[in-house]
Amino acid sequence: MDRKPGNNNISVIRVRDVLIVTMPPEPDDSVINALQESVLNAMERHESQAVLLDISSVEIFDSFFARTVSETAQMVRVMGGRTIIVGMRPAVAITATQIGLALGNVETALNVDRAFDLAATRPKPEKHDKSSHE
Amino acid sequence: MNTQTNLPGSADQSPHPSEQDGITRELLQLLVDNLRDYAIILLDPKGCVLTWNNAAQRLKGWTAEEIIGQHFSLFYPTEDAQSGKTDMELAAATREGRFEDEGWRVRKDGTRFWANVVITALRDKDGKLHGFGKVTRDLSERRLAEEKIKKQAQEIFEMAVVPVVQIWDGVVLVPLIGTLDSQRTEQLMERLLQRVAEAGSSVALLDITGVPTIDTQTAQHLIETISAVRLMGADVVLTGVRPSIAQTLVHLGIDLSSVTTRSSLASGLRMALDLLKVSVRSTVSEQ
Amino acid sequence: MIKAATNNSPSGELWIKNENDIVYARGAVREAAIQLGFGQTDVTRIVTAASELARNTFKYAGEGVIRWGRVETGSRMGLQLQFVDRGPGIQDIDLAMQDGFSTSGGLGKGLSGSKRLMDDFEIESTAGHGTTVTLTKWRANW
Repeated sequence: MDRKPGNNNISVIRVRDVLIVTMPPEPDDSVINALQESVLNAMERHESQAVLLDISSVEIFDSFFARTVSETAQMVRVMGGRTIIVGMRPAVAITATQIGLALGNVETALNVDRAFDLAATRPKPEKHDKSSHE
Repeated sequence: MNTQTNLPGSADQSPHPSEQDGITRELLQLLVDNLRDYAIILLDPKGCVLTWNNAAQRLKGWTAEEIIGQHFSLFYPTEDAQSGKTDMELAAATREGRFEDEGWRVRKDGTRFWANVVITALRDKDGKLHGFGKVTRDLSERRLAEEKIKKQAQEIFEMAVVPVVQIWDGVVLVPLIGTLDSQRTEQLMERLLQRVAEAGSSVALLDITGVPTIDTQTAQHLIETISAVRLMGADVVLTGVRPSIAQTLVHLGIDLSSVTTRSSLASGLRMALDLLKVSVRSTVSEQ
Repeated sequence: MIKAATNNSPSGELWIKNENDIVYARGAVREAAIQLGFGQTDVTRIVTAASELARNTFKYAGEGVIRWGRVETGSRMGLQLQFVDRGPGIQDIDLAMQDGFSTSGGLGKGLSGSKRLMDDFEIESTAGHGTTVTLTKWRANW
């Protein structure tokens, strides 16, 4: 483990060739900013093939958070990995859809188990932007 | 707190109160002062406040100093005060002897509460009207309880109206019936996503066989629902797309290219099972 | 300072001066929304909108104030949020409201997103004088 999970800390755990990155419940801007660095550092160290970003505790996912995630996923891709967003809450999914948040380069999974299943399969071809608002 | 009074002269002049009467009066005064749940006040014949008690201050916010002398229409929402409701109530109490009502009242800070109010005309032995007694009871709690029941009834109704059924390990079915307006879609989204999260369903079959017509808004709502389910990590197969609906969608220019659709529920189910198998198969072959 | 909320009338005011205040703003608005009886999805919408605009206030104007309170017309009840700053203001509001527009990296969805999440949305802004955004979410089933 790279970091102990605390009240407001990101936890990064390596399991074989996959990184499990768990976000705390109410990340403030500094935590969200720290996400990118944490992920990329861990990617460099472990050369993981996938990053599982667990947001199952997160209640508010605004455009700043979304943009950071999207950028991070792009960087992970450049470093040879996939990003899978795990456990998005229903209310968050509805809100994000309504805003029209574009998550672009990420896949999604209901929970860590499914995410592992997904990571073991071949990645699907490039998806279009997920935003559905004209 | 001592209730300040401003009675326009005692109605009963003789005989002089005996000591017992005095004690009884004091006890009565204590009762009115300490009653917690009933705001008991006196109004003069015009409706201006003569007395105040602790409960009245607690419930309505004004202190005795602030409110005595003011007209009791202050306690009513503006629309009622302006429409002459207070005059009507006093007139009814004058006529019938009492008037009872349930409705919104207003506190000093402007907030509203639901109240039960009884206004009693106070007459002396000769029938002369000296004023009114007004007893107000805060029914907010009861109203909250009623709202809660309404909400629960609503939830039960919603469950009947938007059923989400787990038909297979990892597959839920939503057989939609009727048209989808904004509110129904909201309910649909919430229930479906909740169930998907709880049941860990990878695939949701959204069956619209029972949806007679589809307009742009409904289609948009469906697409939003599907997007939201995908964001969570599950997949949606839209089934039961009849020829008439397919035509409408194309004519409306709705883009369903990112949505997996099947014309019948059966083929939709087959699709769902295929989707489930894919993830399992790959994990096995990787070993 | 956050003004204390009373039971039927959650309202308050909060100065936004640094990044942490965005978190406080979210918390305070969430409390108010819950007190007014909004469902979970609506609470999420309202708090997300507040988060977007609180951040906008901080990032663009450096500081500002957020006010919130219960509003009521004859038949409806809702929660109103207002964001006021004396920052640089917005030159072209229509442009700023377009999806994805951004002059300083990453904040494009803030205004348009918040508008989508809430029911009523009003924005006033004068270049050089500041911006005021007022949003309202009405309770369904009231």
